[in-house]
Amino acid sequence: MITAHSHRLPAPFEQVPGSDLEQFAGQTAVPASRYGFDELADLYNQTRVDYIVPMPMNARRLQEYVHTYDIILDLSVVALNAEGEVTGLGMLGLRDDRAWISRLGVLPEKRGRRTGLFIMEHLLHQARLNGARSALLEVVKGNVPAHTLFRKLGFRETRELLIIRRPPGTAPLIPPPEVCRVVEMDEAGIAACLAIRPPGPSWLEETRSLYRAGSLKGLWVTLTSGDSGWIVYQQTPFQLTHIVCGTSSPVREPVATALLCQLHRLNPHQDAKVENMPADSPYLPAFVNVGYLETFRRIEMSVQLG
Amino acid sequence: MSAIVLIEDTPQSARLAARLLRLAGHEVIVAQDGEMGLAAVMDGPPPDLVLVDLGLPDLDGQTVVALLRQQRGLDTVPIIAFTAWPQDTAHKMALAYGCDGVITKPIDTRTFASQVEVHIKRQRVQP
Repeated sequence: MITAHSHRLPAPFEQVPGSDLEQFAGQTAVPASRYGFDELADLYNQTRVDYIVPMPMNARRLQEYVHTYDIILDLSVVALNAEGEVTGLGMLGLRDDRAWISRLGVLPEKRGRRTGLFIMEHLLHQARLNGARSALLEVVKGNVPAHTLFRKLGFRETRELLIIRRPPGTAPLIPPPEVCRVVEMDEAGIAACLAIRPPGPSWLEETRSLYRAGSLKGLWVTLTSGDSGWIVYQQTPFQLTHIVCGTSSPVREPVATALLCQLHRLNPHQDAKVENMPADSPYLPAFVNVGYLETFRRIEMSVQLG
Repeated sequence: MSAIVLIEDTPQSARLAARLLRLAGHEVIVAQDGEMGLAAVMDGPPPDLVLVDLGLPDLDGQTVVALLRQQRGLDTVPIIAFTAWPQDTAHKMALAYGCDGVITKPIDTRTFASQVEVHIKRQRVQP
């Protein structure tokens, strides 16, 4: 745990005269890069102990998260109160002219003092300073205080995102479509498929996130009907994740079902998880067909930055 | 006395749960993450029960349960999800992944040990 007593206080961000941040007298924002991953993971976990869906991280997972999703720790914030005690954190990712806010949390005993608003104002300020023209975030559906805070800051809902999982060994709900050819794709094949992805994935599943996550594998599947499609996924020792697919046919469900059946036939002992699939994705019915279950939902929100 | 493996990353919660189970006469091994939990269960005689937090860092509780359920010799060991998730989500996910039951947090100190013991006894009477 980071405390004022266990840590020499790091230098804060420079104050900007006339900015919205002047209203938060006594609160200080320090770049998250001044802390170690162990300390940040510990702080993050402490802010989420009473969260609707606690999703703790260790230092290794947080480091991967920062890398995969282009989080810039120099622009991310650890908040301190007037006594120099750590009160919360928030992280900022940047891609071109878009910002993404994540891992926002305030320690339970430090809530009710506008710390969340202070961290958000700081992150938005840093986003603007660094050329972002819009900011994006997700909030777990049902987290009313955070949702209200984001609306107050001008964020508006764009869509709902699903977190879905499939335990290994789950039987498909429908007979698998007949397949006549399955080809394991090489790196070039995977790149060619990802290059033609339609726009619209969430930040976590954007093509850049997939490449930065690494360990990508891919299959090309042709059905006896002649329709075909591809599936790209990240394979870790224990889990299949970052699963995305595309089809040649505008009728996507049968091909996508076949793709997922092949994926799980080849990896029968692996757990699978897909984060932030749009609730209106045309591929969602295929995931349901092969036994994926909804764990919870997030609401994606965005704001234009002036 | 039963042997229980408790896989729980939150120190306060792990301490309280382990203390209550020990006071009830059980032997408790505490593992702080999924990998340590897998090792605690698999590197020795099968325990009488595994209690696993679904929200673990890194290797999460669901993946841990999935991996344990694929191990020979562990198929009759009751695995109980121990979680702060909303009840409907917790039950749906825990049962889908092969858990035998769910105990929700926060811990009720008066009933926690007996909640766990119900699952040990239930499993023992199965053929």
